[in-house]
Amino acid sequence: MKDEKSRSMVTPGEAVGTVAAQSIGEPSTQMILRTFHSAGIASVVTTKGLPRIIELVDARKRPKFPMMQIYMEKGIANKYEKVREIWRKLEDVKVSSVVSQFEEDFRTGSMVLNLDKERLALYEINPRFIVSKLSKMESITADVDGDAVKVKVKKKESIKAMRTTFVHVLNASIMGVPGINKALIQQNDDDTFYITTSGSNMEKVMEIDGVDKWKIYCNDPFEMARVYGIEAARNLLANELIGTIKEEGLTVSFRHIGLLADAMTYTGTIRSAGRHGIAGDKDSVFARAAYEETVKHFINASVFGEKDPLRGVAENILIGKQIGLGTGKVKLAVKKEDIKKLKSKER
Amino acid sequence: MQAEAIDFIRFTTISPATIKRMSVAKLIVPDTYNEDGYPIDGGLVDQRLGVIDPGLKCKTCGGRVKTCPGHFGHIELVRPVIHPEFAKTIYLLLQSTCYNCHRALLTKEAIEEMKPAIKGIVESEEEIDTSNISVMTTIEEEDQRMVLLKKLKSVKKCPHCASVQHKMKLERPTFFYINGNKMKPDEIRDWLAKIPDDDLKSLGIDPAATRPEWLVITVLLVPPVNVRPSITLESGERSEDDLTHKLVDIMRINQRLEQDIDAGAPQIIIDDLWELLQYQVTTYFNNETPGVPVARHRSTRPLKTLAQRLKGKEGRLRYNLSGKRVNFSARTVISSDSSLTINQVGVPRKIAETLTVPIYVTQWNIDKVKKYIENKEYPTIINVITKEGIRKRITEVNREEIIKTIAPGYILERQLIDGDMGLLNRQPTLHRLSVMAHTVKVLPGRTMRIHVSVAYPYNGDFDGDEMNLHVPQSLEAQAEARYLMQPKDLILAPRDGKPVMFTEEDEIAGAYMLTKDDSYYTKDEACLMLANVGIYELPKAEKNGMYSGKEIFSMLLPKDFDFEFKSGNSLVSIKKGELKEGIINYKLVGEGGELIMMLFEQYGSDFCMNFLLNVAKMSLRACAKAGVTISVKDYYNSQTIDNERAKIADEVEAKAEELVKHYEEGKLDSLPGYTRKETLEIEVMAQLEEARSMASKVLSKHVGPENNTMLMAMVKARANILNFVQTSMLLGQQAVRGKRPSRGYSGRILPYFKKNDKRPEARGFIKSSFSDGLKPIEFYLHAMGSRDSQMSKSLVTAQSGYLQRRLINAMQDFYVDENLSVKDASGSVIQTLYGGDGIDPTKVRLSAENK
Repeated sequence: MKDEKSRSMVTPGEAVGTVAAQSIGEPSTQMILRTFHSAGIASVVTTKGLPRIIELVDARKRPKFPMMQIYMEKGIANKYEKVREIWRKLEDVKVSSVVSQFEEDFRTGSMVLNLDKERLALYEINPRFIVSKLSKMESITADVDGDAVKVKVKKKESIKAMRTTFVHVLNASIMGVPGINKALIQQNDDDTFYITTSGSNMEKVMEIDGVDKWKIYCNDPFEMARVYGIEAARNLLANELIGTIKEEGLTVSFRHIGLLADAMTYTGTIRSAGRHGIAGDKDSVFARAAYEETVKHFINASVFGEKDPLRGVAENILIGKQIGLGTGKVKLAVKKEDIKKLKSKER
Repeated sequence: MQAEAIDFIRFTTISPATIKRMSVAKLIVPDTYNEDGYPIDGGLVDQRLGVIDPGLKCKTCGGRVKTCPGHFGHIELVRPVIHPEFAKTIYLLLQSTCYNCHRALLTKEAIEEMKPAIKGIVESEEEIDTSNISVMTTIEEEDQRMVLLKKLKSVKKCPHCASVQHKMKLERPTFFYINGNKMKPDEIRDWLAKIPDDDLKSLGIDPAATRPEWLVITVLLVPPVNVRPSITLESGERSEDDLTHKLVDIMRINQRLEQDIDAGAPQIIIDDLWELLQYQVTTYFNNETPGVPVARHRSTRPLKTLAQRLKGKEGRLRYNLSGKRVNFSARTVISSDSSLTINQVGVPRKIAETLTVPIYVTQWNIDKVKKYIENKEYPTIINVITKEGIRKRITEVNREEIIKTIAPGYILERQLIDGDMGLLNRQPTLHRLSVMAHTVKVLPGRTMRIHVSVAYPYNGDFDGDEMNLHVPQSLEAQAEARYLMQPKDLILAPRDGKPVMFTEEDEIAGAYMLTKDDSYYTKDEACLMLANVGIYELPKAEKNGMYSGKEIFSMLLPKDFDFEFKSGNSLVSIKKGELKEGIINYKLVGEGGELIMMLFEQYGSDFCMNFLLNVAKMSLRACAKAGVTISVKDYYNSQTIDNERAKIADEVEAKAEELVKHYEEGKLDSLPGYTRKETLEIEVMAQLEEARSMASKVLSKHVGPENNTMLMAMVKARANILNFVQTSMLLGQQAVRGKRPSRGYSGRILPYFKKNDKRPEARGFIKSSFSDGLKPIEFYLHAMGSRDSQMSKSLVTAQSGYLQRRLINAMQDFYVDENLSVKDASGSVIQTLYGGDGIDPTKVRLSAENK
């Protein structure tokens, strides 16, 4: 038993890649396809189950539902008011989200925005604040009109053009971080607070005072790689994968997930496991051709005079040679004396 | 004949000169057979190209059908045509070379600047060792190539002859325009031919592999006839291969073009024919070229031409090269046999008589082997392979004669007998446990028998599943199977290190009945149970002469085994091989069983396997003794339960209706990221789904283990409380796409309901149970939910299948090197130490959580 560790080591030659791929692929048959989990009340919407796995393995440029978890600096984390202040700076509030009703008048080229008082109170803003934000737009003038805001185009144009301008006005951002649709304050067990958001923008969030710059979590590997570096993205990929699998009540050893994440990131950029990523970058023409886009690979290989070194698994199966993994990796050597001994016995 | 091993394969394009050198015949007749059914000389099935008819001899090599490898021919095209697959390459070359002097549109400085970056490809002639080029640099090279070509496109003036460049255009698939004027293939060919080798090198093209003028076809290579064999139909009519059809078309047009040119026909007619020739050649290479009408067979079926032969799942690569057909295999229905071990497979006599294993005759076994041949019936030798490699079948006539000739060096093919290794496989082969090596046990019957516990890793059941058996032929393969692939050694899955072979269903129920605190057996019963697993001694009897189930179970454990397992407030404790406390439950011997895991790691595979088999056998006895069975009676509800069920339904419905009321009054706050309407749906759904869990609480409160259905659910033998609830209490909310059914008619799902019916029943809440029977409307709603789950199930299999293929393709070349780092085929290091610690999840003794 004292030799427990050396007893537990992997055998050199073991085809760990195939084992990892099977270990991730096999349980994925048992996963759900539905994107949402209706159980989560008061949490952020994210992709779950098989679609999320595919999203990660595919290395999509942007997840379907990006989200962030923002933690506060030490002194602030347990003060609700301070956290709320940061929260106020986060959510990307559009004009339309504080407007209860609006009336367009194309004869005069103006629009009256009736504001939702509850909403204003929630974001702690007033009509004048909105006007000050809107005044940055060049094509319109904005004024406070009682509880409402009145917007007027500077130059009367066709109805279609005015309509576009008004839509722009309604979609104008008045506060918050672009890309963050919704932010929610969450409470930890130890009475500290953190914020979850749907939509992400790590760069901008980092600039906000009070946010713990070293602890922002975001479920977008590319954003993670851009901001924290490739190692962080690798860990993110692995954690997201294993988290998604665990959520389905399935178990997969972290080694397999880690290997996949490493395979996707070891070049320094995130590569997908598909034809434009790992599989498409292989040295072997045959391996690429046997996977997808057969003709394209042969044609290009011939123009550039490519050479297939026949080292991988797929190529050797193709040409009928023993593959160079597992037991095919090792060779048996027999001492000359032993052969002599055998031969002498024969006689 | 042993072929030399292939070291590498280089891809090049083929030059007209090479084609002519390879060719054994210039083909001139656009036809196949004459009226007598004899191949026409100079036709497409010219006998110099090889033979496919038995009895004929190849005119090139003199071989017959089986010995002639086939020979290439060629067609000389009267006018050159563009190779459609290379049109893009040609376009790039035209864009990046001068139209006047045909030099690369590159200043000398630029060449020098770019050259180091593309060195790897240009100088590949000298450089043999490609292993040094890591994946990273390959990507960079490709980028450089693109950057280079893009830069060239934008050059306006030739740096060599200072002529202004014209605008090139490629109209897919094969038409080129210069300044809006069409370029003929022969003009293009002349241009390409004049590009100097040095300039090609700087463009990243190896002139030794590809001279660009070769991309314009003047001589067409015709594959041998055995590449495109014709089929003789029953009626005696010949049906030619698609490729032959296509080649006939090409030759016909080629001949007509030649005649028209010779006759001095007008240019328009010649151009038309030329274009038609281009079309025929285009579809000959790829009948799915975008922008080209598909060439069809007489029966309107699209022709399968060269590209189609290679491409896709049914193409040459994936169908015939990545996956190959094999001999020495069998397939039949599987059925269960608990008398076998998990290591065995019961093979039907008929299969055993057909499959063979080679015996190598040596001076040491020759006498034994000769006796073998004497057997006239079952275990006998079927074939003899002589030293020269000639296979002879043994018959009654030649048996004696063969015995006389046998000498060391002969190979005999022996029928399958007990103890041989066979690889058993069930598709889909999702993981490595879908192929395992079983020792053969020849049995009567027509099905292959496996132990029930080994069905799980195969994901098989016995409702008609079929499995394949492969018999490894070489001694090396047999040894590998024996040492690496036996189920007993694979009890722990590589996926998470948990057992994949364990006790299930009745065995779990039996283990519970056996080891629960008040289970005692008489001496007779104890003897029976122990003898059943091959133990012929009794444990210590209790005072009243009875034997406790725990002690009987303990007989299966090793005497020095200590084990403790806590889950919740129950504790299972084994000390010195005796079960002191606790009940053996599914967590110990079922899926993910900790006990199995510990025994495997401490006492090895053989012990673990026997333990598994014995627990199953003993438990089944205990189960039979206790009489665990279900009946309709289990689902008769008492008055209290019936009342409770009505209460739950009412309560849930009231709550849901309250939510609706809230919503209508505008009091309901929306959840983040949802509209108010969606919020209502989510909350109502959550509320209605609550009904099931409320019902299961009630059920488990009122019904105990005296009810066998409940007992089975409680010990996780089979079914769960939810199944019980749905059978005896209420079905609950049906879901379509994770939501309540919502579509159908306007404002209602079925015309049975009134419009805008807000009651839960109108949206798929079912108050009946399976034992009550469903009302027609409920049945309909239930069917909606069932269909939805069927649909999504089939989608998941398709999606996860593709995911699996992609993952395998991405990672199949990874292996652990001697220093425990993970490398891929090109030698790049993916991990410096496998998994960060170099530990194999199947070997380490850790609780499953930490693996």
